[in-house]
Amino acid sequence: MNQFIQSLVDAISGGAILGLAALSIGLVFGVIRLANFAQGEIITAAAYTLIFTWQLGWFISIPLSIVVAVALSLLMEFTVFSRMRTATPATLLIASFGLSFLLQRVYEMLFTNTVQTAPVGSALAQSIDVGGVRIQMLSVVTIILAGSLLYGLTLFLAKSSLGLQLQAAAADFQTARLIGISASRVIGLSFALSGVLAAAVAFVSTVQTGAVGPSFGVPIVILALVGAVIGGIDKLSGALAGGFLVGFATSMLASWLPQDFSNFRDAYVFGLVILVLLFRPSGLLIRGRGVART
Amino acid sequence: MSEILSKSKASLRWRLGPLWSLASLLMLVYLVTLANSFMGESLQVQLQFALVNLIIVVALQMFIGTTGVLSFGHIAFVAVGAWTVGLLTIEPDLKRSLLSDMFPFLFDVQAPWLVAVFIGGLVGGLLALIVSPFLMRLNGLQAGIATFALLGVVTQVLTYWSSIGPRSGQSMVGIPDVLNLQTTMFFALGAIVIAWLFQRTRPARLLRAAREDGIAAAASGINVVSQRIIAFTISGIVAGVAGGLFALTNRVLQAQQLGIELTFITLAMLVLGGMLSLSGAVIGALVFSVIDVGLVQLQAGVDIGSFVVSIPQGVRPIILGLILVGFLIFRPSGLTGGREIVWPFRSQRQALPGVPPENE
Amino acid sequence: MAVPTHEIGLQVENLCVSYQGVPAVRGVDLEVKAGEAIGLIGPNGAGKSSTLLGIMGATARTGTVRINGIDVAGLPPEKVVRQGVALVPEGRHIFSELSVLNNLKLGLVGRREKTGIPEAFAEVFTLFPILEEFQGRKAGLLSGGQQQQLAIARSLMANPDIILLDEPSLGLSPTAVDTVFEALDVVRKAGKAVLIVEQRAEFTIAFSDKTFVLHDGLITLTLGPSDANNVDVLTEAYFG
Repeated sequence: MNQFIQSLVDAISGGAILGLAALSIGLVFGVIRLANFAQGEIITAAAYTLIFTWQLGWFISIPLSIVVAVALSLLMEFTVFSRMRTATPATLLIASFGLSFLLQRVYEMLFTNTVQTAPVGSALAQSIDVGGVRIQMLSVVTIILAGSLLYGLTLFLAKSSLGLQLQAAAADFQTARLIGISASRVIGLSFALSGVLAAAVAFVSTVQTGAVGPSFGVPIVILALVGAVIGGIDKLSGALAGGFLVGFATSMLASWLPQDFSNFRDAYVFGLVILVLLFRPSGLLIRGRGVART
Repeated sequence: MSEILSKSKASLRWRLGPLWSLASLLMLVYLVTLANSFMGESLQVQLQFALVNLIIVVALQMFIGTTGVLSFGHIAFVAVGAWTVGLLTIEPDLKRSLLSDMFPFLFDVQAPWLVAVFIGGLVGGLLALIVSPFLMRLNGLQAGIATFALLGVVTQVLTYWSSIGPRSGQSMVGIPDVLNLQTTMFFALGAIVIAWLFQRTRPARLLRAAREDGIAAAASGINVVSQRIIAFTISGIVAGVAGGLFALTNRVLQAQQLGIELTFITLAMLVLGGMLSLSGAVIGALVFSVIDVGLVQLQAGVDIGSFVVSIPQGVRPIILGLILVGFLIFRPSGLTGGREIVWPFRSQRQALPGVPPENE
Repeated sequence: MAVPTHEIGLQVENLCVSYQGVPAVRGVDLEVKAGEAIGLIGPNGAGKSSTLLGIMGATARTGTVRINGIDVAGLPPEKVVRQGVALVPEGRHIFSELSVLNNLKLGLVGRREKTGIPEAFAEVFTLFPILEEFQGRKAGLLSGGQQQQLAIARSLMANPDIILLDEPSLGLSPTAVDTVFEALDVVRKAGKAVLIVEQRAEFTIAFSDKTFVLHDGLITLTLGPSDANNVDVLTEAYFG
């Protein structure tokens, strides 16, 4: 029983992380129909920043990692994606795929292929005793962090004028522009927010592993992308829930499948994805077949 | 109408134009190979890899170019083709000692390499056929993600399932050294001919029509899904053959070599040449490979007069990445603009029926 | 932000719009002054919607568009809006997932002055009382007629001098159409310039001070309110 509760908490935190990552992809997709494969490299950049600046103190290192993530996210928009406004989602996906490859090679050249390590957030790497159940401190922190980010984001989207504009642009870009919403402003905003979420994902993942290499963000973004698509990338709630589901499922599979099978857990998840897409091409949470807005 | 008046001329052009484009592509590949065989050994090996990649790109084009549906999954067919050839050509004794976890019947299954390559193609096509009912209904982003998931499943199964290969982290070794540059070239020429013939079949024409106007195609009763299954399976066979040739060229196999990176490189080649034409696939693969070879030389250092010009290690893949992204931004229709090579003695630009001049 | 009254309005000269080389609008001239309603009718594909999108800068165009006397060449739609023009698009295009109130708040984005916002809400709620009642409701749950009212109200929140409407009566019941046009009459009398694109010819001709007939991207006929019941003229307009 105790073991089950432990694995449950871990799975919720795993789901929370992928949910945030999927949300960061969904935010941008909603506005410009880009499923950004290179989101992984934004996570990697934030993670490298944490590793290299951790000795300066967390209160410097964490804000710096957010700045780096947001800056890289905006840089991608200005240098690449803003020049591809008429491209289809499939072409945009290929472009972001290429950008992802490109940035990984740049990291490889700058920081070598070997992983860089630092005791980032080592204070969180312990277990706490809750009513006789040992629970990972990091899992708890992750859940709280994800919860508060979600709460803040929801509040921002629902209450602030900019948040409403972002929602409007995500729902109907052309009409949004026709009522005076500035395209470049909401697109920039979505990339910036997406960078903030990427930094949060990077923080938790870096504490978890303590080591960062050039392709650090790749597995995260693959699962997040897959989660966003099966949840329904057209809606933020769909992307979030899909990401959570994939994170939760992979974590549970890792805890409970015997070793021989748990090697294949991604294969199970991917197989499931193909099935979900077959029956619900617009995503699990989207009613009807609404996604084909290309 | 003037079209009718010039019908006889036009029909001659319809017949000769496509044949010309086929002939010129075959000549191009032949000449590149010929030129290369005068050069050093290391260049010959690189060209052999380039030709294998060319076959993969042709397979990709047969599907992506014809249907307009994105696939990140073709390398999965390459991978199973390569695996098949590896298993069928490594000596039984070697298999017993190095791949000891395998299903026992696999130890003694052997085939001559040429047969093995064709079986590899069949296995690739079979996998494509099996998964196609799941994948072929999807479009755009969903198709991209689902085919990517397919690649993920295959890579992971090949990495970890020691009943059909090495234990994870180890490689399959001992693949015989039987394939030479010239034979590889004949395979490449064959792949081009098959793709050219496929373009002229009814399924390919229907799919091109559906690519341009899906709703109209559906309204006129074209069953897009079943036509796509045909295209996917045939291109899966070609990709599987390419996988077999990869195995015989590289002679060491690891699932990770047949994953995201190869997907990236082959897609980049296709984007560079232009997705919508066979010429695009061939020219893209050749130009990309020439640039790549040039960069490898530069990395090693090239003497220019008394200077040695060189680029730092690691710049090469960055430049290749820049080429892909740059083309997607500035010329998404690729070098060929989606056209086939045209009959040079007439001034009209001539696209294949159903193929628009530009990929908008 | 005070614009001299005599300059308020929309002037379009030689407007051309084409899609991938196929012309949709081929040299349209029109003018809408403050306090005036102009109709633009014509068969499907005549270029009516393209004219509006061209004015808004939402599609590539040539020719001159002046809003309150200012040439808006090269401005993207979000900047054109800030010159004092608002479009109520065909099919309403309200944000169905957002509340009625949030839809109205989004209308404020294109507003030039930041004062008078409570008054703006009061005005649209007087014009369309149903919106006040349903302000907390998801816009997607409103009926077609209510959604059309919301779309017009949203555009009024920006306090435009010129309001363009693309088929405001499309898919509405006769009573709903009456509500919409009564409101438009109030808007016109408040001194705004109104340009209505419609398929319902009689209705539009009767309502507007002047109505242009658009055919194949060209204005072929100009009608006055008295022509509304003239069947010959209408037949000529659509089939001539």
